[in-house]
Amino acid sequence: MNIIELENVYKNYETHGNIIPALRGVNLQIAKGEFAALAGPSGSGKTTLLNIIGGLDQPTSGSVTVGNTRLNQLSKKAISDLRLRKIGFVFQAYNLIPVLTAIENVEYVLLLQGINKKDRLTRSKDVLREVGLEKEMYRPPHELSGGQQQRVAVARAIVSSPDIVLADEPTANLDQKTGAHLLAMMRELNLREHITFLFSTHDPMVMEHSKRLINLIDGRIVSDEIHSKP
Amino acid sequence: MENIIAQLAWRNVWRNKRRTVLTFLTIMVGGAMIIFINSIAKGGHDQMIEDAVALNTGHIQIHEKGFWENQTIDYAFQLSPELNQRLEENPHVTGHSRRIQAGGLLSFRDNTRGIFIQGIDPEMEKQVSNLHEKIMPGGRFLRSDDTTQVVIGSTLAKNIGARVNDTFAMISQGFDGSIAAERLTIVGLFKSGNPEYDREVVLMPLSQARSTFTMMNYIHTLAIRLDEAAHLNMVKDDIVRFTSKSETQLEVMGWDELMPELVQFIVMDDISGYIFDFILFLVVAFGILNTIQMSVFERTREFGVMLSIGTRPQQISAMILMESVYIALIGIILAIGFGYAISLYFEINPIDYSKFSEEIAVWGISTTLYPAKTTFINIAMTSLFTFLLAVLFSIFPARRAAKLNPIQAIRKL
Repeated sequence: MNIIELENVYKNYETHGNIIPALRGVNLQIAKGEFAALAGPSGSGKTTLLNIIGGLDQPTSGSVTVGNTRLNQLSKKAISDLRLRKIGFVFQAYNLIPVLTAIENVEYVLLLQGINKKDRLTRSKDVLREVGLEKEMYRPPHELSGGQQQRVAVARAIVSSPDIVLADEPTANLDQKTGAHLLAMMRELNLREHITFLFSTHDPMVMEHSKRLINLIDGRIVSDEIHSKP
Repeated sequence: MENIIAQLAWRNVWRNKRRTVLTFLTIMVGGAMIIFINSIAKGGHDQMIEDAVALNTGHIQIHEKGFWENQTIDYAFQLSPELNQRLEENPHVTGHSRRIQAGGLLSFRDNTRGIFIQGIDPEMEKQVSNLHEKIMPGGRFLRSDDTTQVVIGSTLAKNIGARVNDTFAMISQGFDGSIAAERLTIVGLFKSGNPEYDREVVLMPLSQARSTFTMMNYIHTLAIRLDEAAHLNMVKDDIVRFTSKSETQLEVMGWDELMPELVQFIVMDDISGYIFDFILFLVVAFGILNTIQMSVFERTREFGVMLSIGTRPQQISAMILMESVYIALIGIILAIGFGYAISLYFEINPIDYSKFSEEIAVWGISTTLYPAKTTFINIAMTSLFTFLLAVLFSIFPARRAAKLNPIQAIRKL
């Protein structure tokens, strides 16, 4: 069953009167539970594609379906709600709320969903334990290392049991060891929770660990490979 | 964590402590200055009114209709026992004094001067005016048993070269048109601080003035003193109602009608005060705007992340407005404390204007010490305006943050 479907998606940006195409007729299907990566050089359209799938940006033309919902027809409020409940985001860096502790950052998403306090705390603690941050729960972001901050971001992305986690270059600001650890953790969550992970990346390690590698060049998918390695 | 928006706002306020403290200081100093300046103005105005009223005018005067406009001896009335009783029964009337007033000519040795004669009941006058407290050493105020004894202004005495116990001649016109002439003996000199008053006024006993000016039971003015200036309209309305059916048409005038130049001065002073307040309010408001604007600008990426993970734009703007409310409330509390403390200091230690006594004496004001007076309305209005301006000036950055495009915001470093 496909959880993400893109049909003939185009995205153009207009700068100083010039139209710059970012995506040129992208067709893509991602099945539930995949662990896939969008790869390609800078400007190839990976982040744009990720943003369109996450409802942060709208395509110029084409159809985008996430779960059973066609994003093209949704209002801003409905897209915001979809992001809150169905999609988890992990950005490159600096993506935690600095005035909240690790557990509060995780709890924040549940609070926006209107989950009661007891459940919020239980689930937040559980996911922080899962990402190995049991001892750092009550620390503010500035007291955590880059890797720890990204793990909190992953915990926040998965705490509401979303269908999809979209991660935009999650290892870009991490050293290799920390990046590898983060990837292993996400893969484990992917296998255990059946959460679909879709990355955009330059990082060869991410490409190597992903189970499907979609290569983009100049806004077009040029290759789509399934890795058979476990 | 239940009210996440309020909690986030509170924590955000303390993110950049130095900037927040500076904003608090801006609000505190600005607000305190507004409270203090208004307190000084209020205290000064009240003192001016009280001084001017206490010197001679009283809070209310009753005359025969036309007296105030014409100021001649012909406009006189008889105080009815009913009106007298009505005034005595009014709890807000602390005293009332009958006066006979006439212009005249004084002659002493080779000097001649125009004078203003005021016949007063010495004991009743003490309840209305405070001239008896302004007698210079070596003299005395009038007594009930005085006849041709008078008290005159110190400048008048100096101008004609007279001293206590000297006798001078006075000539004027009587109520019946006859010549009113008398030899009067100076028993005291007063120094009211009002140059015009000190230069022209001669106080004589009411009983003698009746005889000298052939006034019978007629008087020109009934001056009334109240417990508080705030009761002016209430008492005045009562007197107007009570005297509306009297045979003689009377005019009942409040201190504000008797001294329009003082009212004008206060109004002008208030206007310049409001302009100053407005400038200070703007300084405070721009201080808050600057803080919120900078804070929003610095957190653009953070707002992008918050919007991406499902925070609604309205929640972002509510959080920013809440930050502004917290900053304003803390600033206002500090401003009230600081402003009240300074005002209280100057209430206990009044500002000394003795260097400008000549200038302010033009309004019949002799007091040179002006205490501040802090009122609830001053504090409440200052707080309210500061609060409203803080919220108003935060709407723009709050709306701007709420309208951010998450992608562009996240890209911003």
